[in-house]
Amino acid sequence: MLSYAFLIHALLGALLSGISLAILSPFVTLKKIAYMGEALSHIAFAGIALALLLSLNLSLVTMLFVLAVAGLIGFVSRFFQTEETNVITIFLSVAMALGIILISAKKDYSFDLASYLFGNVLLINKTDIYSLIVLSVVNISFITLLFKELFYMTYNMTVAEVFGIRVKTVYYLFLFLLAINIVVAVKIAGVILVTAQLVLPASIAFQYVRKLKPAIIISILVALVASLIGFYISWQFNLPTGAVIVLVEFMLYLLSLIINKRSKVRN
Amino acid sequence: MIEFKDVNFSVDNKIILENIDLTITTNEFVAIIGPNGAGKSTLIKILLNLIPNYTGQVFIEGKLNSEWLKTERIGYLPQKEEYDTKFPATVMDIALMGIAANKGVFARFNKQDKLKAMETLDKVGIKQFNNAQIGSLSGGEWQRLMLARALLTGSRYLILDEPEASIDKSGVNSFFDLLSELHKQGKTIITISHDLHMLNKYCTFLVCLNKTLHCHTETEMLTADHIKNTFGEALKLIEKDY
Repeated sequence: MLSYAFLIHALLGALLSGISLAILSPFVTLKKIAYMGEALSHIAFAGIALALLLSLNLSLVTMLFVLAVAGLIGFVSRFFQTEETNVITIFLSVAMALGIILISAKKDYSFDLASYLFGNVLLINKTDIYSLIVLSVVNISFITLLFKELFYMTYNMTVAEVFGIRVKTVYYLFLFLLAINIVVAVKIAGVILVTAQLVLPASIAFQYVRKLKPAIIISILVALVASLIGFYISWQFNLPTGAVIVLVEFMLYLLSLIINKRSKVRN
Repeated sequence: MIEFKDVNFSVDNKIILENIDLTITTNEFVAIIGPNGAGKSTLIKILLNLIPNYTGQVFIEGKLNSEWLKTERIGYLPQKEEYDTKFPATVMDIALMGIAANKGVFARFNKQDKLKAMETLDKVGIKQFNNAQIGSLSGGEWQRLMLARALLTGSRYLILDEPEASIDKSGVNSFFDLLSELHKQGKTIITISHDLHMLNKYCTFLVCLNKTLHCHTETEMLTADHIKNTFGEALKLIEKDY
């Protein structure tokens, strides 16, 4: 009975995490900010290490740490007028280095480093499931209410601002939401694999459709199918779930490329 | 009325604009001419409050441009709009961008908005492409879409940065015919252009710029000396050859 509950938690966690990332995926892909996802997940790793070292609430500390570093990146790039993408890449590496040092400093550590680097669905508890449900609802509400602003934000922020569309505030809200999603998903997908789950669903969707709304729906469907198949395979063959889901999504991506190429040749 | 008062702008000690004092009255069709690097686009960007670190002041209808732009819009056609040709947007989506700010946050486009956009697309002659992906448009069609978007802001001002770029000769003629029609309907138009023949035919006021203002006058008052003083030896480089 206990293992059954674990299994249900793990499955729900994988599904919900995949869905919440897939909702944001088309915007991340179109805005070409996948590197932000990668940076935030690596910064989250340092946050996790800090929480473990201080024996504090892991999700809360990681979230606060990610937001603090994101704010610092913004400040450093603006105050010193340096290229933001370079500052992000530097902070990404520094966060990983800091995370490794913090973990090594915790002499009596008794946790599996690989679980956070590559994800572990068995770490998911009831609170995580509730958080993921709330997050998915927040994501859907966010993109439904602010679709117009998000659409023009991804098209061209400078031009949208000239036309008086409030895209800057929406962009920062989007990054804030992205950070929360990544911190929650890191537990399931892992630091290294979370970016793949953020980019692959939309990359597949845009092989089939050239409209944003259908692309969001296809992204969610891709995440659902990949999570179900990936979960089943990982359960059957005792493989890491996050990694298998990413591989399933990659197979779907290859398939979409071939289908798209064939339909172009026919036309 | 648009007023530039002692506007100066430099980048890394390189002067881009110097001592610009210029008044553009309502319902003029203004052309800004000058060689490459004369600061024409910069002048427009300063007006649109897209460049922050300039000195001097810019007023639109008596208010500082930054204040005026908080509540009002200017219909703007950028010289080159950065966009991904594979971006999943239709002509209608981009045209509606002109209305988006007036709708406010959270509000969606309704049937009336789309009808208004269709009427404007019809006006600029690309109604039939309303469902086409933006990546499939030709240069001329794209410029007409940009004009439709600018018109949909409902602004009294239209600002165009080299609209004739990437349009063929017949396209340029019909595009300027359209601008002339809009001017007659009461729009104040400011355009940067390298096409002196076209400007001579349509514009009512000419601004010759090369870092400083060399002249700002009625087009019929323009003399060969004005042109020579503005462009110097670079004149032959900016004559458009079709």
